Amino acid sequence: MQFTDRDRFWMRNKPFQFVRFVALNLKILKAVNRSKRA
Amino acid sequence: MALANVVIVGAGFAGHTAALYLGDELGKKHKVTVVNKYDYFGYVPSWVWVGVGTMDPGKTTFPLAPVYRRKNVDFVHGVATEVHPDENYVLAEPLDETGPVRLDYDYLIIATGPKLDFGATPGLGPQAGYTYSICTRDHAIQSRDAYLELVSRLEKGESQTIVVGTGHPAATCQGAAFEYITNIHKDLLRRKLRDKVELIWLSNEHEVGDFGVRGIQVRRKGGIETSEEFIGALFDEYGITWFVQRGVQRVEPGVIHWEDFEGNYGTTEFDFAMLVPKFSGISLKYIGADGQDASEGVVNQAGFVLVDATYGLDYETLTRSPEAWPGRYQNRNYPNIFAAGIAFAPPGPISKPHVTPNGTSITAAPPRTGMVSGIIGRLVAKNVAQMITKGRMTHHERMTDMPAACIASMGDSLWDGSAATIVMYPVVPDPIRFPNEEGRDLFVAHMEMGLSGAWMKRMLHTTFMYKLKARPGWKIIPE
Repeated sequence: MQFTDRDRFWMRNKPFQFVRFVALNLKILKAVNRSKRA
Repeated sequence: MALANVVIVGAGFAGHTAALYLGDELGKKHKVTVVNKYDYFGYVPSWVWVGVGTMDPGKTTFPLAPVYRRKNVDFVHGVATEVHPDENYVLAEPLDETGPVRLDYDYLIIATGPKLDFGATPGLGPQAGYTYSICTRDHAIQSRDAYLELVSRLEKGESQTIVVGTGHPAATCQGAAFEYITNIHKDLLRRKLRDKVELIWLSNEHEVGDFGVRGIQVRRKGGIETSEEFIGALFDEYGITWFVQRGVQRVEPGVIHWEDFEGNYGTTEFDFAMLVPKFSGISLKYIGADGQDASEGVVNQAGFVLVDATYGLDYETLTRSPEAWPGRYQNRNYPNIFAAGIAFAPPGPISKPHVTPNGTSITAAPPRTGMVSGIIGRLVAKNVAQMITKGRMTHHERMTDMPAACIASMGDSLWDGSAATIVMYPVVPDPIRFPNEEGRDLFVAHMEMGLSGAWMKRMLHTTFMYKLKARPGWKIIPE
């Protein structure tokens, strides 16, 4: 695997990264909810 | 209901989280006491930024006493020296030199964090050795000062070699070291000095990207992508030379001596090195009713507290036995003693162990920091509170049930920073619940790199500092 110019573009693209920021938050909350959180 | 005494030794992620929940649940009806050698809480994940001089150390700490006053928790700023498990008391030496205090307990939570065992590797560490560390706030400040001195040499036109990684064949916390090397890369780029530095990653991991958790696998483009591929590509992208399967044996000025998986001995030269030491349990004395050493019933040889795990299984059996991992973090011989965070003894490694032909074990120890520490701190606190108020406990969560999110930043800028965000569930693979090669939930597992990770990292710093100061709504924020 290696990072391409296309990868680098999207890693820095702020609107796209904002969407990813929301998605990552949801992803982490999903992981927390999968656990027992006893 | 009779007044109950709970003593917590340590106020890191695990101990402080436990103190907040116990203070909240037991209130003024019972007595909760925390003993800690620092009078502040330190947000460890941001010390990588302190270590390169991009964050003021003051932004990573806050005083504990005012928080504990609000939560009805007593605080002893000092060092616990002895535990008397038969007579249920702890001796502590307050740092104001008022003399030792005896703290009687009905329940004891040992959450001391690790002893940074620099002595296990001759020549390692900032005090008696030639390398640096970012494991404490003061160590991070020392690293920053040495790093900035190196930067001034670079500005004069010199070329330098920086080595970052693990400083012992059984070290853990590769994630923190990884984040430190990527932050150095980013800082050198910002200073336009990157071309003058050779950056080297040197670690005891089985593969690059193992991080002591047997690596992470995610679904991508219809296939499986591994953290070995992802982190390897990232190092290549940043021009970082990486070596794994190497256990550091000793350090001399400017030279690291190591042994690799094949039993070969070699050296790596450096001008500046940050190597994470081996972690051991804190040197507490455990004294029985007869005045004799009682540590055998409480801790293992490394000083970690024995809990409700199944110890002594070989690695292959352990990987097929998720129930071998502890769920309540309760000592079997003394059921009123619990351990949280790094202080508990895991039943074995998560990563595949390796013994070299020379008989040296080069095996990454399981990480139990950050999110895992916080979760265990909350769980132990809730169980202790239940035991006091209801006489039984119901909470139970193994590392085979726990999620972990790791965000490894590359610079702290919200404008052009970046970070690798890694989410896994569970931390310890469970091949029974997830019968795939990885033993993890592939619907949750995730790895990506980008600016959003830098925002996540900054958000976590802010929200965790808020939570751990016990501000309104703190319990809503998950550990």
